[in-house]
Amino acid sequence: MLTALHPLGKLVVCMAWIAAAILVFDARFQLATIVIASLALVVLDRTSPILILALMVPFALFGFGFLTTSVLFRQDSDFALRIAGESVLNSPAFSAGVTLFLRAIACGMVSALFALTTDPGALIRALMAQWRLPPRIGYSLFSAMQLVPDLAAEAQQIRLARAMKRGRPPRRFPGPVELVSLVIPLLAFAIRRAGRAAIAMETRGLAPDAPRTVVSAPRLHGRDLAFIAIAFAALALCISWVRMG
Amino acid sequence: MNGKYTWTLRETLIVAVLGAVFAVLYLGWVQVWLIAQALFGPVTMDVVMGFWFVASIVAAAIIRKPGVAFATEVLTAAVQILLGNPAGLLLLVTGAVQGAGAEAVFAATRWRNYRLPVLMAAGVGAALFSFAYTWIRFDYGALAPGLLATMLVLRCLSGVLLGGLLGHVIVAALYRTGVLSGLAIDHAKRTARA
Amino acid sequence: MPSEPRAPEPIRPAHWQQLSIRYPFADRPAVGPVDLSVEPGERVLLLGPSGSGKSTLLLSLTGLIPHSIPAVVEGSVRLFGVPADARKPSAWATTVAQFFQDADQTLCGMRVEDEIAFALENRALPEDVILRKVAEAMRRVGLPEAWRRRRTTTLSGGEKQLVALAAALAQEAPLFVADEPTAHLAPEAAGRLHRLLMNAGEGRSVLIVDHRLDGLIAAVDRVAVLGRDGTIVAAGPPGAIFRKKRDLLDRLGIWRPLASFLDAELEKVGLAPADPPLSVDDALRHLAGAPPEVVRKARPAIAAFVAAHAARPHGDRAGGATVARLEAADCAPFLGPTVLHDVTLDIRAGEILGILGANGAGKSTLGASLAGLLKLKRGRREGAPGGIAFQKPEHQFVAGTVQEEIATSLGGSGARADQARQVEGILAAWDLAGFRDRHPFELSQGQKRRLALAALTAGDRWPLLILDEPLAGLDAHGAAMVAQHVEALSRSGRAIAIVTHDMDFALSLCTRSVIVGDGGIIAEGPTAQLLSQPSLLKRAGLAEPAIAPAMCWLDRVPAC
Ligand SMILES: Nc1ncnc2c1ncn2[C@@H]1O[C@H](COP(=O)(O)OP(=O)(O)OP(=O)(O)O)[C@@H](O)[C@H]1O
Ligand SMILES: Nc1ncnc2c1ncn2[C@@H]1O[C@H](COP(=O)(O)OP(=O)(O)OP(=O)(O)O)[C@@H](O)[C@H]1O
Ligand SMILES: [Mg+2]
Ligand SMILES: [Mg+2]
Repeated sequence: MLTALHPLGKLVVCMAWIAAAILVFDARFQLATIVIASLALVVLDRTSPILILALMVPFALFGFGFLTTSVLFRQDSDFALRIAGESVLNSPAFSAGVTLFLRAIACGMVSALFALTTDPGALIRALMAQWRLPPRIGYSLFSAMQLVPDLAAEAQQIRLARAMKRGRPPRRFPGPVELVSLVIPLLAFAIRRAGRAAIAMETRGLAPDAPRTVVSAPRLHGRDLAFIAIAFAALALCISWVRMG
Repeated sequence: MNGKYTWTLRETLIVAVLGAVFAVLYLGWVQVWLIAQALFGPVTMDVVMGFWFVASIVAAAIIRKPGVAFATEVLTAAVQILLGNPAGLLLLVTGAVQGAGAEAVFAATRWRNYRLPVLMAAGVGAALFSFAYTWIRFDYGALAPGLLATMLVLRCLSGVLLGGLLGHVIVAALYRTGVLSGLAIDHAKRTARA
Repeated sequence: MPSEPRAPEPIRPAHWQQLSIRYPFADRPAVGPVDLSVEPGERVLLLGPSGSGKSTLLLSLTGLIPHSIPAVVEGSVRLFGVPADARKPSAWATTVAQFFQDADQTLCGMRVEDEIAFALENRALPEDVILRKVAEAMRRVGLPEAWRRRRTTTLSGGEKQLVALAAALAQEAPLFVADEPTAHLAPEAAGRLHRLLMNAGEGRSVLIVDHRLDGLIAAVDRVAVLGRDGTIVAAGPPGAIFRKKRDLLDRLGIWRPLASFLDAELEKVGLAPADPPLSVDDALRHLAGAPPEVVRKARPAIAAFVAAHAARPHGDRAGGATVARLEAADCAPFLGPTVLHDVTLDIRAGEILGILGANGAGKSTLGASLAGLLKLKRGRREGAPGGIAFQKPEHQFVAGTVQEEIATSLGGSGARADQARQVEGILAAWDLAGFRDRHPFELSQGQKRRLALAALTAGDRWPLLILDEPLAGLDAHGAAMVAQHVEALSRSGRAIAIVTHDMDFALSLCTRSVIVGDGGIIAEGPTAQLLSQPSLLKRAGLAEPAIAPAMCWLDRVPAC
């Protein structure tokens, strides 16, 4: 369901929501954001709740950093820490920390919602067709995104090539030293591929400022308008709920 | 050959793929940082920060045109978002600020000088800009001044070493692989040698 | 953009005048000075030994050299009467469709359908026209509908080449330029492609560079031969070139169609056909119904020809110990789905095994699994690990210079001077001596292939060697070198598996072969026996070797 929506509509909604999450410094709003984004993924897109929980882990770790920073290093935190037990939970430093922590998760979940339900190719096509993104830049971005999934295969290829040299098959998983030694060959691979893609695109007529068709660019449907309307209504509701309470 | 300030298609594509590869590396680094943070506490962020400037420095040193440093850093952020960086869409702002910091230093040399000291200075530029940004974002005003000074110094050092110096090393290694032929760095090196 | 000039008399689609190209830091030009032209509607074949500058010449056509690839260019190129450098390379896309030697230079890593639509999108055609043309191009080249949304980077070597061809054909440009378009294609696909490219009905001019001539040569109007010094040393209609310039071509190490060898044998006994033959069938046609004394005279000539080009009389070494064995194995490419089910195969010391099959059948996957470099999805593998020469030679390279590439594969043992001498020996044996300090990626395709093979066979660490398409991109000289090395390696007791699309090569070198298809191994046995079963070959997307009609003639015509 979310996957079928227009990428730009989704992009606008997600950006607006993240902007709100940064401006509305309130733990309840962040919580509401997390719940809404997760529910949308589970209900509308059949994403497994386990995956969502797994996604939250890095966001949570990230947020935890903020939590400890603000609790331990506020100027008044000495004082706050000296107060016993439960009152720590009520200190302003702590609640600010909690909000930062939740905000990291909230922004993370909104981004995840966008990333999980959007095909990068469709996004670039939409950007080129509707927002007049120059095709050169559009296709450069497109190549970059296409490159990422190929990095693993290329890394494996480089490991095999080295094995051919050494006369011993590679270990199943590279150790940390080997991983670091793959960085330069992978960068070289990427740059080489960029040069070849440039030749390929140029010979097939990609010019900087000639008019061009964008085939199968996503179109705006009624359901996109409905999605945008509902999303903004929900956002307004959340904000006013936090303001009132 | 080509315009001094306009990018060719190849250069645009190189900026894009560098953004993509560094996005993957940056994400790997996020994991390193998270573990370090859990072990050594919050200032770790400033110690490891410099690595997140290296994409802009490498790209700028290869292509040597205005806007390269800035664009690469923003792009790296964008790709990271799509790959699921925990910081979310806000990362775009972070990337823009860091990229602008490095770009400012290159602009000061009028995009002519890419020797090691300049790359290190670019690391410091990115560190200063990003420090100002985190100040606003995480309300650093409330932190103890001594701690703030430590954080600032650590971050600049990190920018010099993990940003400038590491960037220089990466560029030199890439040059040896032969993939940079025909790019600005190649012209510069060959004219210098001739 | 200036409008296409229209003159009353036909204008040459492509015309190189005194063109020479020197790569940066090279002490002599890579090619040139060359004078060459393609007339309207003409189909020109450009031949030349590996490294003579064919690809370089084609890259200069629309100005990619020097615009995108740095080099110094002298002389001029005109396209349809307009100097090529009057426009940017991208502006020539409506006039010239280019297929590069390396399919990755033709494709940009998108999905199959986007890849084919790309050139049409750039011409700003209406969307429905583009969709129609994409479907049409896929149908003509024989790409299944189901591939539309596959990314080109997950395709096999030959499948990539097919997509690249579809993308170039969809451009519908009046001049089509192709650099070894069939190097990785299975015989059946290669035949289809040759017919498509050379279809005269479309009024297109074609310039093609290829090493595999059988099946292509009959449709060519003119052949031009580039010599080692990078100048045109011969030009003319194919029949005449392959009859009159035989010695020159042999000296340069350029492939000749098999028919030309048969023609030479028949000439010795005074029985050559009046018109120079371009296929083995042509060469034998005039013997049909010939009187017995003519047949008696022809027989030894034809037998000599077959003996020289079919199975070599190597001793039966099949008795060696088993080196590696796959048992009930399910094989899958790295990060890919299972493509081969329930494979059982073993290979013995001293054996040369052929792995044949259509494009995408899973030959490369089988080779890598046999070498123990891919994790099996199911089943077992026993035996020592093997080394692979990858289908794409670039995948082999890890070093910064040609010399280092060889030296690092020799291993650290032995004295320094000793090793240096060894490296020199290997470079000379593979005809790479002049490229010692060159970066491996700056070689021509054939040179890359030779370097990759040299590096793999340099050490003696692998008891089992898999050569994946060792002939793709090689000239006749290089192919002879490969055959020689393979035989020497096999004599030294190593097990060798060769993945190849060249049936004649398989026939002459591999005692035993397996045919891969339908998700498994569909046949196994002596190569000559497999390649003489038409129904099997058809099912596997293969074709009989070009030499088959001569062998058949020997069988059919009574020895009297
Ligand atoms: N990028 C490059 N930089 C420097 N030298 C190069 C480069 N590309 C090719 N060469 C050299 O130029 C010469 C001509 O190469 P080219 O690729 O045109 O040969 P070719 O005739 O196409 O050979 P093949 O049949 O092997 O493909 C070769 O000696 C090669 O080593
Ligand atoms: N990463 C991948 N993901 C999905 N499919 C893949 C992947 N790699 C290969 N394949 C598919 O696996 C099949 C076997 O590939 P393989 O490279 O073994 O074919 P091949 O017989 O060597 O073909 P060719 O003659 O064209 O080289 C092909 O159909 C290919 O499309
Ligand atoms: Mg070539
Ligand atoms: Mg293959």
